[in-house]
Amino acid sequence: MKQDGVKTMNEKQGGTQSAIEMARRILSEYDGKPIRIMEVCGTHTHEIFRQGIRSLLPENVQLISGPGCPVCVTPVSFIDEAVMLALEKDCTICTFGDLVRVPGSSSSLQLARGKGAKVKVVYSPLDAEDYAREHPEEQVVFLSVGFETTTPSCCVAVQKAEEDGLSNFSLLTANKTMPAAYNAMMDSTDAYLYPGHVCAVMGTKDCRDMLEKGMSGVVAGFTPPELLTALAVIVKKSQEGKPFFVNCYPRVVRDEGSPDARAIVDKYMESCDSRWRGIGMLPDSGMKLKPEYGAFDARVKYDLPAIEGKENKACRCGEVLQGKCTPEQCPVYGKGCTPEHPVGACMVSSEGACSAFYLYNRK
Amino acid sequence: MCVGLSAKVVKVSRGTALVDASGARREVSAALLTDLEPGDFVMVHAGAAIAKITQSDEEEASGLMEGLLS
Amino acid sequence: MNLEGKTVTLAHGAGGKQTAELIEAVFKKHFSNPLFTADDAAVLPRPEGKIAMTTDGFIVSPQFFNGGNIGKLSICGTVNDLTCMGAKPLYLTCSFVIEEGFPMDKLEKVVCAMEETAAEVGVKIVAGDTKVAGKGQVDGLFITTTGVGLVMEGVHTSGALAEPTDVVLVTGDIGRHGCCILLERDDYGIEADVKSDCAPLWNAVHAVLSEVPDVHVIRDATRGGVGTVLYEIAAESGVGFSLNADAVPVEEQVKGVTGMLGLDPMYLACEGTLVMIVPRDKADRVLEILRTQPHTEGAAVIGEVTAEEKGRVVLETRIGTRTYLPQPGNELLPRIC
Repeated sequence: MKQDGVKTMNEKQGGTQSAIEMARRILSEYDGKPIRIMEVCGTHTHEIFRQGIRSLLPENVQLISGPGCPVCVTPVSFIDEAVMLALEKDCTICTFGDLVRVPGSSSSLQLARGKGAKVKVVYSPLDAEDYAREHPEEQVVFLSVGFETTTPSCCVAVQKAEEDGLSNFSLLTANKTMPAAYNAMMDSTDAYLYPGHVCAVMGTKDCRDMLEKGMSGVVAGFTPPELLTALAVIVKKSQEGKPFFVNCYPRVVRDEGSPDARAIVDKYMESCDSRWRGIGMLPDSGMKLKPEYGAFDARVKYDLPAIEGKENKACRCGEVLQGKCTPEQCPVYGKGCTPEHPVGACMVSSEGACSAFYLYNRK
Repeated sequence: MCVGLSAKVVKVSRGTALVDASGARREVSAALLTDLEPGDFVMVHAGAAIAKITQSDEEEASGLMEGLLS
Repeated sequence: MNLEGKTVTLAHGAGGKQTAELIEAVFKKHFSNPLFTADDAAVLPRPEGKIAMTTDGFIVSPQFFNGGNIGKLSICGTVNDLTCMGAKPLYLTCSFVIEEGFPMDKLEKVVCAMEETAAEVGVKIVAGDTKVAGKGQVDGLFITTTGVGLVMEGVHTSGALAEPTDVVLVTGDIGRHGCCILLERDDYGIEADVKSDCAPLWNAVHAVLSEVPDVHVIRDATRGGVGTVLYEIAAESGVGFSLNADAVPVEEQVKGVTGMLGLDPMYLACEGTLVMIVPRDKADRVLEILRTQPHTEGAAVIGEVTAEEKGRVVLETRIGTRTYLPQPGNELLPRIC
């Protein structure tokens, strides 16, 4: 994330330095009981490594890289479905770049491309809709992954396709929602670093619900000053001995979130049970298109069979996601499983815990 | 999970906004924020403006630390 | 001969009259110099000293981009490879594979750019070859150039010569060519005015080496960018690097584009930017010289060579932490969700 554009709004360099200094001091001087902090969001994981923030934490503050990388929690069967659509149903697959190298049961989209699959990397679901409109002779399927932040854009694309009267555009959905994961992970951590951009859409209600259950956390932004201050707030508040919630990203996250974004999602999608790679089936943790929009649902449109994905048994991604082991404790990490030849999904996405460990932390 | 980019709105027209980040420009969807105006700073994710930005990260950090220690 | 509206046909590659016409109308017109041969091989005066020789193939899509074209690129690439060895580029040969149907006027533009670029650093094009491939067998135009240069007396550069305490410079802002091509392909709907840095750097490097012959390493940061080059040098020299992340020059618009796509400019190709590694006491002078030379005005010191962290590139961040530059590896894919 670059902030250059915003810097012009205020050039209070001196104030920031002292805020960063203060945050660093709070972190480095902490000598209380151990605190486990789970960064739920993959972009947090990535930025924390990229900025070397782990090196500023004392030993008694542990960061756990949680389940918030949509690529990492997308089940193997989803890739299998996409490969099937590309190779057997002759569809053009439009996808975020993040998914291209993710291994399925037998093939990734990258390998499928070598076998003639048409795979186009796009920046936005709306670009996939554009592509479909410009290529009426192709059947275009967008791989709709992501959390609450990304799902609205996917729905805007469906809305646009509806307006444009497209019959060659559909979504293969694997959209996920966070609350079920917040609940599932409660025992693995003492406080959440809540995902800033999910909260930008959803507001802070889910976080406050967690507070009611006794779970602490802060919403955090993504720049070094934002990450450091958010961590400092957790450390400071933890010492007060009672559960807390603080929105540490108020410049982007409002309590009410984005009602417009939620309204468009409510129009096109509904909640469903969803399989999280490594964690398993979580009730009400996914989003799918409503039955009346079946024409835009690739599973309905192409009558896809239920696929049972085959995960590599040696891979411990699931435990890594839950903070039950570190990447280095996985038997395939760094040996059979590297960013060039990923076995598990946490190694594929640069936001995955294993990949971040491998790229930034390897000795 | 959700890479965001802060950008300045240059132009708004019929559900889309032209945004500028350090001179790189792109049309993004403005469908999720109904009251966008040129000059606004927004957080962009996957081709859509998802939220307005009200201050810099630096101001925000200073404000938080002041609040924490007061 | 008026070239407008004409295209290259298979007959132009058949070796007969039409081939002769193509050579006359396009290649001879622009490559003409007393050494350019019509015979089977150029016969050249032998330079006194060590020679450097290199070859490189150029495939770029699109062939014309903001700041250059494949012709300019094909000269810069080989000139810069010679330059990295401290060798004055003397002679070049070029081999064209042209797709049937390629417009003649475009071909002439490519050849013009080659002529101009070669003239800028005084290298002579002495021989060439043309093949025409059937439609679809190549993407427009491929060019291979081979170059011979004369190594400057007392200069010895190699990727294996970086020593701890040496200073690391780049001769300009990084990642511009890669970013420019990314924009030209227009896959992501992003608009920005990013010009390829494509430039021949012999004159600038000659100015440096004339005064400071003991530069240890010069390498052009083409495919894979500065990040890949540094990891290569770290391995070859058995050293580490410590870089100041904020000191690495990146143009604002390149920052904007890479920010949108979640890419790192350290891994985007440069075609007119070199990495130089010089003894610490010479760094200031090298920087001063570079800043007075064309194409290297934006030179900057970005870090130093270390005995620690062998094989690794460490970044000192804005907030005073140390982190590793991720190892180079995969196809560059935007990171979004």
